Amino acid sequence: MADDVQNEEGGDTSHLYEGKTVRSSAPSRKKAAGRLKSSTEIPKDAIPEVHVPTVIESFFGGPIVSNTKFLPPDRMVSSLQQLAAVALIMLGFLTFMVTPVSGTAWFSLANTLGMPALGGIIHLILMIGGLIAGLYGITQRDQRAIIASYGMLIIVTLRFAGSKVDFGLDLLPEEEIYQKLLLLLYAVFLVMYIELTSGIIRFSMLDTSIRTGEVYVMQVNKITNKYYRSLMITPAIAGLVALLTLLINLIIPAIVGLFDEVSAHRLRESVELTSVYGVALGTVMVFTIIAAMFAINLPLRIQQMQEKNA
Amino acid sequence: MAWSRKSAMFAALAIALYLLGLVLRNSQLVTVAVVLLSFLTWAAFRTTHADVASTGRRMEEPDSDEGIQLHSITAMRKISSARIFEDGEIDVTLRIQNRSNLSKVLEVRDRVPDVMRIKKGANYVLMELGPKRETEISYTIETPLRGFYTIGPVCIRVQDPFGLFHNERELNLYDDFLVFPKMEDIKDAMIKSRVPKIFTGAVNIRNPGEGSNFYNLREYVPGDPMKKVNWNATARAAGKMMVNEYERDAVSDIILIVDSRGISETGPVSRNSLVYSTRAAASLSQYFLSRRDSVGLVTYGDEIVSVDRDTGKKQLFVLLTKLAGAMAKGNTPLKIVTDRIMPHINRGSPVIILSPLEDDPTIVNAVRDLRSRNFDVTILSPSSLEFEFDARRLDRTGYEVLKTERDILLSELRGLGAFVMDWEPDMLLNTALAGARGF
Repeated sequence: MADDVQNEEGGDTSHLYEGKTVRSSAPSRKKAAGRLKSSTEIPKDAIPEVHVPTVIESFFGGPIVSNTKFLPPDRMVSSLQQLAAVALIMLGFLTFMVTPVSGTAWFSLANTLGMPALGGIIHLILMIGGLIAGLYGITQRDQRAIIASYGMLIIVTLRFAGSKVDFGLDLLPEEEIYQKLLLLLYAVFLVMYIELTSGIIRFSMLDTSIRTGEVYVMQVNKITNKYYRSLMITPAIAGLVALLTLLINLIIPAIVGLFDEVSAHRLRESVELTSVYGVALGTVMVFTIIAAMFAINLPLRIQQMQEKNA
Repeated sequence: MAWSRKSAMFAALAIALYLLGLVLRNSQLVTVAVVLLSFLTWAAFRTTHADVASTGRRMEEPDSDEGIQLHSITAMRKISSARIFEDGEIDVTLRIQNRSNLSKVLEVRDRVPDVMRIKKGANYVLMELGPKRETEISYTIETPLRGFYTIGPVCIRVQDPFGLFHNERELNLYDDFLVFPKMEDIKDAMIKSRVPKIFTGAVNIRNPGEGSNFYNLREYVPGDPMKKVNWNATARAAGKMMVNEYERDAVSDIILIVDSRGISETGPVSRNSLVYSTRAAASLSQYFLSRRDSVGLVTYGDEIVSVDRDTGKKQLFVLLTKLAGAMAKGNTPLKIVTDRIMPHINRGSPVIILSPLEDDPTIVNAVRDLRSRNFDVTILSPSSLEFEFDARRLDRTGYEVLKTERDILLSELRGLGAFVMDWEPDMLLNTALAGARGF
């Protein structure tokens, strides 16, 4: 056994290529003979080693690096860490506000067991767990902890809501529009948190690649500024599109009202349109328009126009 | 437009949350899903444009939608040398031009062969290239192993800032280069033909004729020219007439046989029998050609490739090119090689075999045939046992068993009158040759 371990280590050719392991040699029959095996199977160390990124590594994207052992964070990564921590704390607070325990599986389970308080405790544990895992993941740049925090913060929202908007705190506004805005704020922060944490890992990979000489970046500031700009614009646009979707129960009656006030009133009173199915309808409508834009190749035309006008 | 795994996972998460939201009638989940989908859509919208399939155009068409962002990018490459020896360096300069009126944030990767190492600079660059601007990327690659290689294509990628979608284009810009095996200076190979070749053509030989180097004295035999008589020696020899004998200038045919069967690559990629054999063959070619011998080469693996005997620098280039391209493949027996080449080479010519002498039951017969036809056979056998043992891929017991088998084979070959050297990895070629010839 000890021999085996020694052999595996010895097969490394990295010393020949300054750290880059190159393996493409022919199958070692002799090794098999040396171990007194009669089979002709290919020994493990004769098979070329390829680093296949794990699902988690792939999720965070970025340039291909041989491992994710990062160098200490640079200024860009540090500021992303700070932003992500702020987004996480805001998200935790919003989750606590907009996610009641009622309707969750653990709430039902606790009631069945006759310990209603247990549901609330599990609910809190999930939220706090998500926060702690997230903060740990952000500071340590641990991708698994970050993924765990995503999981916990999403699981905590999985509840049967019966189409009505319910909040965890009673002092929150009752008006539909404010409720939807609060939900939207929560959703935007969740997406921002996911993107910022992903950005931490991606830029750490990039920074490591730059510092190890794998990648050379010209005008780093321009590239990072572009990322920051997108970080501001994209969630705002996404929020706006989502708002249109969420407010479809107001938009459709308003449009119909231009032609027929009675029908518009009926639509305003429609339970289906104000429920989650109304949101679904809104989603279908908005995304049909977006699909049409792609179908007519609008982005290409915009680019052509930009090229001409530049 | 290509999706990254991140965007695929975002989309999967959004769809899952959306469906769950509908099933559980949970607006919160639906809202998160809609924001995620909007985020993705905006990123796609900003990065690129509709899928080419929707426009009915082919990707290859110059005005395809990738062209808008990437077609205006052109590249030119210059390499410092197209022929180089192992462990040499090649400087690569890649010039990227943006002919568009818009500035672009690009990822440029100039693809270099896997086995090459970037010594200076980087072949992977992220940059913002202004409108109608050009920039230059320079890097140096080290060439550790012989072979035919190609640099290219140049991959250019435009990506959204979140790494969700990208457009990629390969610029078909290729530069080929050849890495010759490393050569060692040989002082004396101690190999001379017993059947010197008489040159009839205009060959620049310093001492034409029978040769000029004194070899020994012998007694006069009728027919010897009088100019060869050594009068001083005759005077001392008490009545016997002595003549000088000269060593003929060694201009001969040398045949190098390189084993490039699959087995010859056993061991680490930079230290195996084929690497050593090709280096030795290159060094020997240079040495013999500088001695004005004519050198022929045969490599055998999955097929027999031969270079006919010739002299001069051009022949050295031809031989080096063949050696650079020798691939470890196939399992042609040595006997087939010797049977094929024997009718075409002069009897008594030196034949140098470079082989690990493994996995070929015809070796002994092949060498016996060569010896029976009076060929001067030298075998340099890089021991792949040593390579594997050094790389700790072979344990002590296996090594000892296989070493004993190998020693028996080498002894048998020596018994046939061949000069055989078990060439250990750290041994210089000069030493190995001297050892083979019994010095």
